[in-house]
Amino acid sequence: MDEQLFRLSPAGAPRTTVLFVPPLFEEANRTRRTLVLAMRALAAQGFAALLPDLPGQNESLVPLIEADLERWRSALAEIARDVDGPLIVASLRGGCLIDHGAAADAWWRLAPASGASLLRTLLRARVSADREAGIASSIEGLQTAAASEALLLAGNRLSPAMVAQLGAAEVQAVEPLRTVTPGGGEGQIAGTPLWLRAEPGEDAAMARAIAADLALWSRSCGVI
Amino acid sequence: MSVTDTVDANLRALLADVLGLGEDRAAALTADSGLFGELPEFDSMAVATVLTEMEDRLGILIDDDEVDGEIFETYGNLLDFAERKVRG
Repeated sequence: MDEQLFRLSPAGAPRTTVLFVPPLFEEANRTRRTLVLAMRALAAQGFAALLPDLPGQNESLVPLIEADLERWRSALAEIARDVDGPLIVASLRGGCLIDHGAAADAWWRLAPASGASLLRTLLRARVSADREAGIASSIEGLQTAAASEALLLAGNRLSPAMVAQLGAAEVQAVEPLRTVTPGGGEGQIAGTPLWLRAEPGEDAAMARAIAADLALWSRSCGVI
Repeated sequence: MSVTDTVDANLRALLADVLGLGEDRAAALTADSGLFGELPEFDSMAVATVLTEMEDRLGILIDDDEVDGEIFETYGNLLDFAERKVRG
């Protein structure tokens, strides 16, 4: 099934395309506004910018239970194949776990997260919500159950394959790669980790910093 | 910086990030400041995020059996818990 692909193009022919791989699950909602602002800033500098819906995420009609990391990796690889001209893959958080199957000229990762850490937070949210509802559950118990049945974690119904892949997923080596973190220091992206926020916010200055860093990285890789 | 100061600074920054408090509100937290049930942003997802971030940023492992409602009642309780974990 075809998924929606949000695309911003510059007035003329794009110099390079930036394919954003959003964070996973709730973290995607918390960063979408700022990512779109970054895409506008990139388009103003002559880049084309893409933000795809992963199957089962955002506006996708695919039930999340049918998705897993492998499917997301292939979906991204397919989108990358359809891009004409130079391509930079820019991933955030859990998006960094699925970006290596896409053929690109360069990669850029913001605050990569391990799958185990993302899964642990989802399991904890479930245990915490269960406790409020007077139900006794535990991370270990849920993980055992996940081997044979789907789990509803913080509103996400995840298949056994998804839970297993997520628990084991680490970022994979790609080349050339620039990895950045948010913060106020040199070589950091000016801003705060919006993906952690309980109430989604947006940060225009951070969006500009993301676009500026990507433009510099693109040039230093000779992608232009 | 003493262990207490380091943990305190890390914890304030973390709550600012997760709850979107801003530096001023994070700096104004006292031991008696209420968290869960007091700050509307502090829901079960935020609790989960705070625990995982505490593990990553403080280099500790939190067994969920150790986590009870009391830890999140006040900033002072959370700081005590974090400091106990860091000291081992």
